[in-house]
Amino acid sequence: MVPTSIVCEHRLVVGLAELAVSNNPSAILTAYTLGSCLGVVIYDPVARVGGLLHAMLPDSRLDPAKAAAYPGMFVDTGLRALLEGACQMQADKRRLKLYATGGARIMDEDEIFNIGGGNCAALAEFIRQENLRLAAQQLGGHTNRTVYFSIGTGLVKLKVAGLPNEIVLC
Amino acid sequence: MLNIDSFLESVAYLPPAPPNLSRLVELLNQSDLDVGEVVELIQYDPALTAQVIRLCNSASFGARAPVSDLSEATARLGFRETIHLVTALSTAALMRSQQKGYGIEAGELWKHSVAAALVGKLVAEERQDNASLVFTACMLHDLGKVVLSRRLETKYQEVLAESQRSQSPMLVVERNLLGFDHAEVGGRLLERWRFPPELVVAVQFHHDPAQAPAHGRLAAYACLANLVACFMGYGCGHQALALSGRALALELVGVTGEDIPRWMTRAFDAMRDTQSLLNFSF
Repeated sequence: MVPTSIVCEHRLVVGLAELAVSNNPSAILTAYTLGSCLGVVIYDPVARVGGLLHAMLPDSRLDPAKAAAYPGMFVDTGLRALLEGACQMQADKRRLKLYATGGARIMDEDEIFNIGGGNCAALAEFIRQENLRLAAQQLGGHTNRTVYFSIGTGLVKLKVAGLPNEIVLC
Repeated sequence: MLNIDSFLESVAYLPPAPPNLSRLVELLNQSDLDVGEVVELIQYDPALTAQVIRLCNSASFGARAPVSDLSEATARLGFRETIHLVTALSTAALMRSQQKGYGIEAGELWKHSVAAALVGKLVAEERQDNASLVFTACMLHDLGKVVLSRRLETKYQEVLAESQRSQSPMLVVERNLLGFDHAEVGGRLLERWRFPPELVVAVQFHHDPAQAPAHGRLAAYACLANLVACFMGYGCGHQALALSGRALALELVGVTGEDIPRWMTRAFDAMRDTQSLLNFSF
């Protein structure tokens, strides 16, 4: 049977310390194996504009030069760039939905090694400051997650390392 | 339940030591390092020779006029960088395959090991320790998983159920199901390969350096490097971050938890350079 239409997916990998914003409805943005890093999706379902951030550490004050070169390395500068990038593509801040995953942590009662927790706290602070809405999340735990985000459908899916099935976050 | 000796006897095929790696390890503790010995080691392996020349000509080493000769490439890279590259490449064949018993995809275990080795090296250089020895210990820390994966493969549903039930580190899940763990198996394998005792101990105790009878500092490097690689997303397999925090490892190396984010930014740079060299996606 001859297909009546062909949809070409445009797959874009958002690597460690990167972010991407798009209004291409065929774009699938992916951030692989997040560990303690955060994967944050931002989406305006009306404008069909969205983006994905793959941030490694919470606070850009650690290394301002690195933050200037790689805004996506830090949660604070990365979320700022994600928000501004989406708004430049005509997203409306009031309609924006956020989805977050990653932020895994090890089993550390002393909290000395809690990079994931720090990333989650920085996310919560940014959301509070900007009066944004976290529509869904799967944060923490001890697993490595991969996040897939479709600009066209707004679908956010997760793959947990070592498990066979994908999870639909929204 | 088998004990570890019976298990190792029962394994039909234990991997042999990569030949280049055995000879490199012999060079690690020499104070009068001879570049000629490294050239001698590499020159009979065409794939390694090509990789070393490629590395030397890559942008991350500030390539000037391209070199086509191994001796010149090694001289330009420096003895230490050449050793690290050859160590990483020598383990690739062993560690790049899928490890189904841990839910590890092809390439992931090797990438994790390279990330840990780069973290260990950065910290060791800062602390003025033997960076090449630390690099090698970190590169090999999860070697035991290569042996245990097949045994766990038939029990993978049990692994998932046990990790869910016990909410314990994966190391404990292995012990509950098998009676021993990948750290012990890795140490035993290195012993069989007649690797130096400090590497055997570092691998065996990389999840709990305080228990190491000697060489606890090297084990602590492997412990911290493993954790930092996992934070950065270079952990691999099921429940990759179900690891115990080991504050004592920080003390043994002489660093604090506040140093970790800084290492992560530096390891990010190192991985970016290495990615282009070793041909894996980031």
